[in-house]
Amino acid sequence: MIGLIARRLAQAPLILLAIYTITFVLAWALPGSAVLNDEGRRPPPEVIAAMEARYNLDDPASFYLEYLYRASGAMWAVETVRGGEPPAFIFDFGPSFRYEDWSVNELIASSLPVSVTLGLAAIVLALAIGVTAGIIGALRPNSPADVATLAVALIGISLPSFVVGTLLLMIFPVWLGVGTVGGWGRPQDMILPAVTLSLPFAAYIARLTRMGMIDVLGADYIRTARAKGVPGMRVVTRHALKNAFLPVLSYLGPACAFAMTGSFVVERVFNVPGIGQHFVNAVKNKDLFVIMGITLIYSGMLILLNLLVDVLYRWVDPRIDQS
Amino acid sequence: MTRILGVLALLLVLLAGVVASDRPGAPAALVAIETVDMNTLDPQRMSHNQDMRVGYALFEGLVRWDVLSEDMRVLPGAARRWEISDDGLTYTFFLHEGGRWSNGDPVRASDFVYAWKRGIMPDSASDYVKLFQLIDGASEFFAFRTEELRAYAGRPAEERTPEAALALRARCDEAFGAMVGLSTPDELTLRVRLERPAPYFLSLCAFATFLPVHPPTVEGWTSVDAATGVIEQKHGWTKPPHLVSNGPFVLERWRFKRELRLGRNPMYAGPFPARSESLSIVVIEDQNTSVLAFESGAADIHMDLEAEYIGDLLAQVERGERDDIHRLETFGTYFWNFNCTPSVGGANANPFADARVRRAFALALDKRSLVNDVRRSRERVARTLIPPNSLAGYRSPEGLGHDAARARAELASAGWTDRDGDGVPENERGERFPVVELLCTPVGGHADLALAMASMWERTLGVRSKLAIKETKVFRNTLDNRGYMMSRGGWYGDYLDPLTFLDLHRERDGNNDRGYADAAYEAMLDRANTEPDPLRRLDMLAEAERYTVEETMPVLPLYHYDQYYMYRPALRRDGTPNPGGVRGVSKHPRLVQYYFLFEKVPGDASEPAS
Repeated sequence: MIGLIARRLAQAPLILLAIYTITFVLAWALPGSAVLNDEGRRPPPEVIAAMEARYNLDDPASFYLEYLYRASGAMWAVETVRGGEPPAFIFDFGPSFRYEDWSVNELIASSLPVSVTLGLAAIVLALAIGVTAGIIGALRPNSPADVATLAVALIGISLPSFVVGTLLLMIFPVWLGVGTVGGWGRPQDMILPAVTLSLPFAAYIARLTRMGMIDVLGADYIRTARAKGVPGMRVVTRHALKNAFLPVLSYLGPACAFAMTGSFVVERVFNVPGIGQHFVNAVKNKDLFVIMGITLIYSGMLILLNLLVDVLYRWVDPRIDQS
Repeated sequence: MTRILGVLALLLVLLAGVVASDRPGAPAALVAIETVDMNTLDPQRMSHNQDMRVGYALFEGLVRWDVLSEDMRVLPGAARRWEISDDGLTYTFFLHEGGRWSNGDPVRASDFVYAWKRGIMPDSASDYVKLFQLIDGASEFFAFRTEELRAYAGRPAEERTPEAALALRARCDEAFGAMVGLSTPDELTLRVRLERPAPYFLSLCAFATFLPVHPPTVEGWTSVDAATGVIEQKHGWTKPPHLVSNGPFVLERWRFKRELRLGRNPMYAGPFPARSESLSIVVIEDQNTSVLAFESGAADIHMDLEAEYIGDLLAQVERGERDDIHRLETFGTYFWNFNCTPSVGGANANPFADARVRRAFALALDKRSLVNDVRRSRERVARTLIPPNSLAGYRSPEGLGHDAARARAELASAGWTDRDGDGVPENERGERFPVVELLCTPVGGHADLALAMASMWERTLGVRSKLAIKETKVFRNTLDNRGYMMSRGGWYGDYLDPLTFLDLHRERDGNNDRGYADAAYEAMLDRANTEPDPLRRLDMLAEAERYTVEETMPVLPLYHYDQYYMYRPALRRDGTPNPGGVRGVSKHPRLVQYYFLFEKVPGDASEPAS
């Protein structure tokens, strides 16, 4: 296990460097100027040139290296050792061009926890809904209850979240007067966006659980348990679910990463100040530092979460480690 | 199984932890919705309405406008009075003795010089540096500093030490004092010498870029870059608790895309104390969500209603079903640009290089129908660039109306007539009029308008058009390369003078997207600028505008922008106070809002009108 973790952590910088390089090439190729607001007033050309020079926007090679130097933490390390003036953050992702008063680090610090909270809430909700529905379906395959959960799952996967979100907003806060619109921070602000975000995950988890359960319920050891006289519910929760849950667990890793890095649509509909907006807006604004910073953070999170899932997987099912 | 539950429990604990660590504060006395987040709270860097509104609440300039009056008269702000010399060149401002920054420091005349210098320096890159260049010597100083920085960057690396950079800055400060017409005879007196008489300068002093900043605070975040010699500014000072302000409000909290909270400034003793104890600005980018937030009572005023169903909302207002939509006629104009250069992006010949063709295209449009039937929002139809009746004493020209016969005649006089009977005009060499590419961006209804205009041109002139819809960045690039024939555009005036629009057509203006170059026109503006009599000057500027909207037509004005606010009126129809309504909202076309004037009518908002 230690070996696995060490190996993966050693690989991480290489993966990140590759991602950084690809993102840089793509972001640099975006049309337009990074320092100008397209709809705003245009300053004199001297001012534009000075700004571009200041951020190395006139020279891709030095931009690439300089940013790498800051973002990788090398600059922080060098300045700390030299006793100079290290940047405020170890990994310094630079300023935002569009939101001039904010650094990319501040933007991430303010939006990432929001997305993580919302994503976790959605995943917990999705697990509760999905596993329950999956078990109900698996116990009586092709019964009306099974068909009903299948139908709900299908709707959950196919209805886009801007439709679900807007509907929920119309029904609850506006017509029934319960819940909030456009706020964030109080627990009640989180319910509607979490429900909206959880639906596709819940649907997928329900199908995975059902499939796994049907497989497992036909196995010999379940028949043995029943023959021994273990009560029905206990067979399901104690013996069957344990194995049927494994596919769900391996799905949870990418699902968590996906849910926690924010959904642009859900964030927009519910005005959630999460990180998903930056993925879209930064590219639209050619906000280079934000594009690079967010991509690096997202990739880092994906690498860590995948590692975490692999570790958890071995912990839940020790056979994997031995094989 | 217990291990799976363990994983779940771990997730739940994490969740609870994050929720517990992130709690919002108590609601503010008044909540306003903006649909775009603030770019910056640094006054000299501001160029957007939403930023400036916060700027006006936090900082107090020398003067303020009377935004609740019709003519936006100039009122004393940080300056209690001022004197203007007879030649209109020297302005002397006398500051209030009791003016205080929110940390208790006195407000000094030198604070204004410090702030304005930031606006003039190429280092701090104000989008509005042109406004400061009215001040005597500012343009020369700008050129001097640009040249100094260029020379410094050319020095060998070992000569560019921190000491050398500091010396460069000292020389810059010295040059500023010697070259620029700003002086402070004493701590409470500011003398400004202008390059030429500008009757609108006093009003300009109320503009956001001219707001003061607290020098010791800003200086703490300023450093000189040894490699380039540029004075660099970190923006941490614009966030609480660092921001020190001299206006009616102080910045209590600013959380990105969540809330910007203003509270009363206890140190403020000026003429505009805040009417609300606190004010919170919530940014909701999605129009649907922002309207729902207002409807559910989460906010008191919506500052920028642009929902697609605005026509339906207006119909409800007309039927008397609601009274919370407010239409404002703004100081802005929507137009389409003509590419005035000889070729499209340096390749194909451009028929719009000929002013007669541009006039023909303008005359062929039924703008009333475009606004009423296509947009369905019934704005004021525009024949001029400057909205008529928006400037006192300015007599707007007529402009060109809808005249199909004259449109065909203009096109024919430019050599384009249908020579082979196929309905499409050809020139004398027999080449057909090229298909006109109409360049626009995806959002905002430009494409609908373009399609309707295309059918009018085809009907009247026989010219075919096609749409080119591009993302904003690509759109912008295409404008800059002049790689288009016609494109959508628009402009809002920044200050109450015709020049805020007319300067657009100067060849060297950064916002001249049309490549329009006309020495005769610029000579007209320059002559007007030296005219001492303000009314005669306005007439000369009106003549310059007439020249561009009736003869040379670099842009095709379509309509003057409207802006919609959503708030419950302060008074009911019977004249009694309307609890939950908002007072103090300016309806002036300049769209300046002073948050410190906003006040919610007290009482139970759910109580029905008697």
